[in-house]
Parts: sequence; C-alpha cells; structure tokens
Amino acid sequence: MSEKTFLALFSDVNPAAEAIAQLREMGMKDEQMQVISGIPFTAPILGRPHPRTNVPRMAMGGALVGFLLAMFFAIGTPNLYPVYVGGQPLIPVPPSVIATFELTMLGMLLATFLGVFLDSRFPSYRPMEYVPAISDGKIGVLFRCTEEESSRWMDALQKLGAESVSPVEAVQL
Amino acid sequence: MAVAAKPLPHAHTHATEGPDPRESLMFDPRPRSLMNAWAMEAMHETSWKFWAVAAFLALIVLVFLVGAWAWMIMEGLGLAGVNRPAFWGVFLVNTVFWIGISHAGTFISAILRVLKVEFRRPFTRAAELMTAFGLIQAGFSILMHMGRVWLSYWLLPYPNQRQLWPNFHSPLTWDFLAITTYLLSSLMYLYLPLIPDLAMARDRSSGWRKRLYRILALGFRGTEGEWEHLRKAMTIFAFAIIPVMFSVHTIVSWDFAMATRPGWSSTIFGPYFVIGALHSGMAAVVVVLFFVRRMKHMKYFVRPEHFDALGKLMLVISMAWAYFFFNDYIVQWYGGDKWTRMLLEYHENGPLGWMWMLMLICNVAVPWLLLWNRRVRRTPWLMAIIGILINVGMWLERYVIVPISLTINRMPFTWRQYVPGIEIPLGIGTLALFILLYMLASRLIPLVPIWEVQEGQMVHSLERVGKTYVPVVKELE
Repeated sequence: MSEKTFLALFSDVNPAAEAIAQLREMGMKDEQMQVISGIPFTAPILGRPHPRTNVPRMAMGGALVGFLLAMFFAIGTPNLYPVYVGGQPLIPVPPSVIATFELTMLGMLLATFLGVFLDSRFPSYRPMEYVPAISDGKIGVLFRCTEEESSRWMDALQKLGAESVSPVEAVQL
Repeated sequence: MAVAAKPLPHAHTHATEGPDPRESLMFDPRPRSLMNAWAMEAMHETSWKFWAVAAFLALIVLVFLVGAWAWMIMEGLGLAGVNRPAFWGVFLVNTVFWIGISHAGTFISAILRVLKVEFRRPFTRAAELMTAFGLIQAGFSILMHMGRVWLSYWLLPYPNQRQLWPNFHSPLTWDFLAITTYLLSSLMYLYLPLIPDLAMARDRSSGWRKRLYRILALGFRGTEGEWEHLRKAMTIFAFAIIPVMFSVHTIVSWDFAMATRPGWSSTIFGPYFVIGALHSGMAAVVVVLFFVRRMKHMKYFVRPEHFDALGKLMLVISMAWAYFFFNDYIVQWYGGDKWTRMLLEYHENGPLGWMWMLMLICNVAVPWLLLWNRRVRRTPWLMAIIGILINVGMWLERYVIVPISLTINRMPFTWRQYVPGIEIPLGIGTLALFILLYMLASRLIPLVPIWEVQEGQMVHSLERVGKTYVPVVKELE
C-alpha cells in the first residue's frame, strides 16, 4: 500500500502539541511524524522525543584537534629548527598558552559550525515537503500514512484544531 | 501559548501607573506574516537617495582606498607619515579602533544572549554585522601598515624555504591568530541565526533574490532537528566567543604593553583596551541603530526603549573606562619615572594636548553629563550624536596611545612629532567601505532577526499582581 505525506497546519502551539499527543494515542509512531515551525520549540513543549544532536561532540572534537595543532605549532615547530635567542627558553610556556587558547577555540567553533551542517544535512537543495506558511509562524505537523488511513487522521486532526490538513508534495524550496 | 503572541487585552486600562507596556516591542506583538513583510520591504524598497549615497561612498572607496593604496604600493611606505621615532601611526590607530568597534556585536549578541537580556533581540544582527565589517577594516589597516602587502602570506603558519616556521611566541603571531579566530567565529556566529531568516526571505522572493536566498538558506525548513542543532550551536558560540572577544583586544593591547616603553608598559592595558573596545562598540551600535530606524517599518522594531537600555549600558561602560584610564594614569604618574612623567606632560600640554583633553570630554564628560537623563537616552538622534562623539573620543584615545606616546622615548635626539600622510585618505576609505558594506548588506539580509523577535514576544506576557499588571518572561528552554 502506498504511503503519502500529509501536512496539518496549526497557528497555535497548544493544539499542535495536543494533536501530536492524540495522534500518538491513536497509534501513530513518533517516527511517522515530524514538526516544522518558524520558531524553535523544544521537545518537551511539543511532547516529542528529544532530537539527537552531535553538535556538542563535534565541538569537543574540534577543540581537541585545535589543541593538538596548537601544540604542534607552539612546541613542535621550535624543535624542528631550534633557534636559541639570548638565553631565552626555546619553548616558553606563557606565550604558548596564547596560541593554544586561540587555536583550541578556533577548532571548537569551526567544528560546531560544521556540526550544524553535518547534523542537519545542509546544504540540501532537493525537493522537500514544505509550505511558506511555516515561516509566517504556523506550526506544521508532517505525517506519513496510507491513503486508506488518511481520512481517519485528517478528521482527527481537524477536530483537534488544525487549520488545514492536506496531502503535501515535495517541492523545490 | 500562542505562536503569534496575543495582543494585550486589558492590561493598559488596569495599569494605573508607569509607561504603557505597548511601548515595548515585546509587548506589542504583530502577526509574523506582517513582520516578515516589513523586513522584506525594508530590503526591497530603496530610494534614489540610497543609491546616490552608495555611489558616492563607492567613489570614495575607489579613490581613497583602492587608488591611494595602489599608489602606496607603487611608491612605498614613505608616503605615510611614519618615521623615527613613531613607526606606528594611523594605520595601527585604525586597526585598534576597528577591532574595538567589532566588539559590540559579540557583546550585544553573545553576552546579552547568555545573560538572557531580552531587549537585545531586534538588533543583535545589526551589531553582529558591525563586528564582521569592522574586522574587515581592521584587517585592511594591518595590511596597509605592513607596507609590502604582497608578503603578508609570511604570517601564515607554514615553514619557509629554510624550514624555519613563524615564531608562535611573538605578539605579532598572537595578533594574527586572535584576529583570524575572531573574524571567522564572528562570521559563523552571524550566519547561524541568519539561516531561518534567509529561509523566510527565500519563501517571499523571486528572481535572483530567490536563487541567492535558496543557496544561502541551505534548504532550511525549521524541522525539530534543524532547530535543535542550530540552538545547540548558537549556545556553544555564545559562550565560546566571549573569551575569544576578550582575548582579541587583550592581545592587541599586549602589542603595546609587552614593550618596556614609557606609557605602554602597563599590566592593566588588557582590560583597559577591552573596556575601551566595548565603549566605542556600543556607541557605534547606537549610531547604526539610528540609521537602521530610518529604514521603512524599522521604527516598529527599533524603539526608544532600545536606545534607553543601550544608553544605560554606555553610561556604565563609560564609568568603567574612566576607572581603568585613571588606574593606568595614576600608577604611571605616581611612579615618578622621568621619561614617563615627560610623556604624560606631553600628552596633556604638548602640541596635541587638545586631543588628550577632547578624548576625556568625549569619553567621560559627554556620557556622564547626558546619559543619566532618561529623556536623552530615549531620543534617538541625541543618542546618535553621543555615539559619534564617543567614537571620536575613542579614536583619539588610540591616537594618544600610539603615535603620540611613541614621540617621547628615552632618546631625546629622536623626538619628532608624527604627521600622518597617506594614512588620512586611506582611513577615510576604510570608513567609507564600512558604511558601504553595511548599506549593501541592509538590502540583502534582514537586519532584524524576525524569528528571535517573535520568540521573544511569545515568552513575554503581563500578569496581574494586586491592582496592576507586571511583565513576566517565560523560560522556554
């Protein structure tokens, strides 16, 4: 049986959250639904499972790479070609701290930025289910179901305060 | 909890005292579609005056920046006024000045975001843009100072033909690392919260704008995952970019403080420079907001309450600047070192003593005398004038620290007053480029983060306490 994607639009977060809870009670799985919105709503507000994000882990990884790079620059490179100046230490610790700090932070922030791209699969220019009303502040609940089941879900969502429930095609954004 | 925040039904009629809450953007919600339309209109509708000013600025950039720089590259650094004993002149004054301006974006966007200060919402992007464009001007100023700009790649961390690496323990390399880190971080921090607004612009554009926004919005739809990743990243950025910001201007100050010169060798230069950067940066934000407010529909987003709040911050920062200035001054004055005493005397009573005096008037007297007054703080044009004066004062402060302080050293036979040459047109060129970039950016990206404003309006409400209504801010995260 072929499945289709439907979009229920809400102008208020409370009925949207209520509808999500009702859909779950009626047997729809969390994986079958997706919420899209023009402002960020946390998972507890919507009653949805917390989305997994690797951004903090990426940030830590980037910081580590930056730190190691700084160690190479501040400690490694003077040893590659030792130049002793006026009895000064070859590897002075306080100035090394500065390069280490800057490169660690740079690594962390670059990795954080990259993490958003990787986790969100940006850039993605293929057609996707979306309506411009979302950036006008509407909350959309996307769900997949078979055509036979669709009338049941659509009726339920309309009763729960959805402004509109309709099949939605993937469009070029 | 409504997505489009509800208007206040009875609050005003019940509140018997105090200002109308609707004066505040957070308590004057409008439908998101309307706010989006206003943001788009501000980008689309451009008068001939705008393009006339842009063309004039482009001409200045072409002649004063591109032309003068090309001339200096051909003729050499001798066209600049730098010479013994002042080898550091207006180029470095401008570098420090523009890095200072760039601190406003991080301060307003990151620090106020971390502290959850709500009035920041409509103008975080205007401030972040200043950071990015200010750092670009600082970068140009450093390259000009180098003279042989075609050798600037020598700063890059890779070994030369003799396998000798740059010295990572040198203050100049710290500068390179710090400014590069800050510039890249600021650009990323500008872009991340911009993505949802670029998606909004994509949904409402056609033609080349549609294509541009489609590329820049990266396919953002506002899914739970996209928001989560974005929010997590913005939190990490907001916390991490603050120490980076502090480090940048501290390291710039160390370029001076690491030298055992009269007037420079000071352990307090780091925080003194940072607070100076915030002083000029905040003042510059106010000037920018004054002009942003003149754009169509922007009076809704940028209100007297914002100037009021920024005015209070400026007053506090001015006091902090005065504290650090006096702290630096008194220790040097009391120390009694002969050369330092002569330098301080030269600062105050030398041929450029008027600069020192004007610096104190602009940085201390003007804010202290005016910003305590609520009516002044809520008058945008007055605030813009104060902002310009503070920036004049802060530029003079850097001029006093760099070339004037270099004039007096421990070798009196080298004393000579610095007179800038080609630095003047180049400085004007960088200022024109900054304004031009800002004007062009205002036509390409929404200057107001609409989604952040709507989010703010959602979490604000009035609750009845006794006989009146008090503002309440809900915590969504």
